[in-house]
Amino acid sequence: MSTEKKDTVILQTSDEEQFTVEKKVAERSSLIKSMLEDLPTQEAIIPLPNVSSSVLSKVLEYCDHHKNDPLPPPDADADDSRRKTSDIGEWDAKFIQVDQEMLFEIILASNYLDIKPLLDVGCKTVANMIKGKTPEQIRTLFNITNDFTAEEEEQIRKENEWAEDR
Amino acid sequence: MSSSSAQGSSTTWREPTKDDKPPRDADLSASWAFLQVGVDHIMTRLQLGMSYSYYILLYTAIYDYCTGSRQTSSFGSGANRGGASLQGADLYRSLHNYLSSHCKGLRDEAEKLSDLELLKFYAKQWERYTTGANYVNKLFNYLNKHWVKREKDEGRKEVYTVYTLALVAWKQNFFRHFTTEKAGMSRLTSALLSQIKKQRDGEVVDSGLMKKVIDSYVSLGLDEADAQRQQLDVYKEYFQTPFLDATSQYYSDESAAFVASNSVSDYMKKAEMRLQEEEDRVNLYLHDNTRKDLKERCETVLITAHAESMWEEFQSLLDADKNDDLARMYNLLSRIPSGLEPLRKKFEEHVKRAGLAAVQKVLPAPGSVNEAGKAESLDPKAYVEALLEVNSKYSDVVNNPFRGEVGFNTALDQACRVFFNENAACPTPTRSPELLASYCDILLKKNNKDMDADSLEAALNRVMIIFKFIDDKDVFQKFYQRNLAKRLVNEASASEDSESSMIAKLKDVHGFDYTNKLTRMFTDVSLSRDLTERFKTKERNATHDTGGECYSPLSSIAEQWPVDFNAMILGTNFWPMNPPNTDYTVPREITGLHERFIKYHSDIHSGRKLTFLWHLCKGEIRTTYLSQKYIFMVNAYQLAILCLFNENDSMTYKEIQAGTQISDSTLKAQLALLVKTKVLLEEGETYDLNLSFKNKKIRVQLNMPVKSEQRVETAEVLQAVDEDRKFVYQATIVRLMKARKSMKHQALIQEVTANISTKFTPKVPEIKKAIDYLLDKEYLERVEGSIDTYNYMA
Repeated sequence: MSTEKKDTVILQTSDEEQFTVEKKVAERSSLIKSMLEDLPTQEAIIPLPNVSSSVLSKVLEYCDHHKNDPLPPPDADADDSRRKTSDIGEWDAKFIQVDQEMLFEIILASNYLDIKPLLDVGCKTVANMIKGKTPEQIRTLFNITNDFTAEEEEQIRKENEWAEDR
Repeated sequence: MSSSSAQGSSTTWREPTKDDKPPRDADLSASWAFLQVGVDHIMTRLQLGMSYSYYILLYTAIYDYCTGSRQTSSFGSGANRGGASLQGADLYRSLHNYLSSHCKGLRDEAEKLSDLELLKFYAKQWERYTTGANYVNKLFNYLNKHWVKREKDEGRKEVYTVYTLALVAWKQNFFRHFTTEKAGMSRLTSALLSQIKKQRDGEVVDSGLMKKVIDSYVSLGLDEADAQRQQLDVYKEYFQTPFLDATSQYYSDESAAFVASNSVSDYMKKAEMRLQEEEDRVNLYLHDNTRKDLKERCETVLITAHAESMWEEFQSLLDADKNDDLARMYNLLSRIPSGLEPLRKKFEEHVKRAGLAAVQKVLPAPGSVNEAGKAESLDPKAYVEALLEVNSKYSDVVNNPFRGEVGFNTALDQACRVFFNENAACPTPTRSPELLASYCDILLKKNNKDMDADSLEAALNRVMIIFKFIDDKDVFQKFYQRNLAKRLVNEASASEDSESSMIAKLKDVHGFDYTNKLTRMFTDVSLSRDLTERFKTKERNATHDTGGECYSPLSSIAEQWPVDFNAMILGTNFWPMNPPNTDYTVPREITGLHERFIKYHSDIHSGRKLTFLWHLCKGEIRTTYLSQKYIFMVNAYQLAILCLFNENDSMTYKEIQAGTQISDSTLKAQLALLVKTKVLLEEGETYDLNLSFKNKKIRVQLNMPVKSEQRVETAEVLQAVDEDRKFVYQATIVRLMKARKSMKHQALIQEVTANISTKFTPKVPEIKKAIDYLLDKEYLERVEGSIDTYNYMA
């Protein structure tokens, strides 16, 4: 039992729900991983005041599935290949099929917890939603009010001309 | 742990809880107030630990502040065209201020300390500070990853990741303040240097402490553009430069004092030790970058500055064979540029002197005489061994103390070349090759019994050491050829393998042409053996056919074959043999055989002329006129004389001469030998067969060399060498002129000299003589209107 204890941590969400998870799973979060590295082991609960239980359970589902993946290198930004493709793995694509609100919650949570691969999956999904749509369609999709004036809009169009219809 | 620098100054630490955490949208002062407590805790009271929840609270406060929407309302709002806004500048500045004042706080405490205490304090604070900074760096990960990264991507200088920021703060607010305008050198550095001096003086110092402090110098060298790259500017400026200067000073003082009261040998030990110590010092606690400069400085002060006295000491070390000291001197001086050159020169001179002295020792004492009453002559063996001993002794010196270094090898070679060719035993350069050839003869002769095949081979290899340096290789060739001819004709070779091994060695060193004749001589010998065998077989068959015809009263020696014999047919061009200078009547006992052999030979090789070299022939005859049967070993002249006594027991000189046709001088000498050995008895002009001859041995050697021949022989060889050289001069000139068509006199002389010098040392007057001869013979002509140019005439 004691070994099992060592290998789990308890996470507590903003709505005070507790999740007991394998250390390996929790360490998908770079935040938790570096904290566990730096601080001496304690039996205390780890509070996550910025994540709700519904989102955390979803995030943990992802972490559990990927718990055996190789960790990304510390300086993952240098890894360009990962960024350039908008491809999403099969399991991840199914996993991310959630409503828009949940999608954004997942993105925020993975940013906070520093789970780079999950952040990528979320952002790529949003990118795929935008792809091929007009600004108006995008506004409708995300429920955004157009607060540009006509002049501002013209200015922006000019600046971004180079990017159109490649 | 005392924490006068701790800003909270609370005596008991109470960890803040989530109730203390500012709200998500808190402003800078509220956020930082919360964060500063945490940062200060990490930097000053880390040993008290931190809970997971406090860590997460601090992280969340940073996250909240950085993602806060003080300027933009929410995700995707159009107000900020640059994309999501990144907060952080204020937070970063606050952190910087905190770290700066933290470092300033350390200054006061360091102010009171010096030397070892200062180093201890600095090392302790450094360790604590960098550990804390590492934690803070991770805690501020969100700031690093977003705000700092964006600032750097946009090319802003002086924004660093949090850890680097901490180092910058340390350097600016603490580290730099050890250097006061007055002292010039950093107090911290001078504390380091005083520890190093103590260590050099033999005290034990804490290398680990030194390493910690020195490593901090390295860490503080920050590359503004690339945090991953190491910059040594701080290390070099603050430590390396003063360190190297102090090192030069220390060793220059020490070595001057040491040399004044110690021997050079002792100094070298000291210097070697010091150099090793400094090498170790680099490994112990310096940056590797210092290795090269430190080595150079030490070498300058410890070696270059004392090179003169080492050079002076060199001779006495050589004289006393102090190989350990020589090795040490070599090691030291090889480290500095041109440190060895004076040694090489002295070494060359020394070997030369040693060689000349060694030869002097083996010279027979002037006026000493041998048993025969003649002036004692130099023993070639002693001579060659004296040369080799010097050579081998100093090759050992070159290979051991001097590590086989090329320059010393060259010096040894040059010295050997000089005394191998000219020394007290060899007033002329032709004497040394002659002695060497004689030594080879001694080695290769059958009577050299005290050597087995291996040691013979080794001795021959040593001969080659000398041979390589002999200038007049053509002289050696001539003598060697002559000696070889004698060995072959007299069947006196110890072993054919050794003979051909020696020839192979000569060929390796000096080429095919050089040994061509020698090889041909061997071919002749083996061809002759075959020819003789075939002739004998033919004779045997003929004898059977005629039913055992007998030719000679000596037939009893061999049952089937009346007279056993072997003939050698030697090509005139390859053998250094002259025809006999006397007539000779073939004894009638062997005339038949003689004639049949001539006929047989001309049947096989028509057109070849046979000249019998009677003076080289020898035979064995068996006595039948004495109660004891003896075998006389005789030469051809003695054979002819003694065969006459088959008919008579007594003959006059005139009768003998008529019977043999041998010239006066030779005949008299041979008769004298026979009389001396008591085979014949002399009575006035009459010679009687001694019918009561007695000897202890059954085989009696009558064929003894006639003295006075030897000196003549040397002169003869040298004359032959001179003759050959004339042709070499001429041939070389013609070959060159044919290729160039036209050459100036001086250039021609030079080229000829260069061409010939592998064979022997050419003499300019001889070259001129050869040119004159070729002008005479119209191979060359002088160019009209020019005094010193020749043309080749086809």
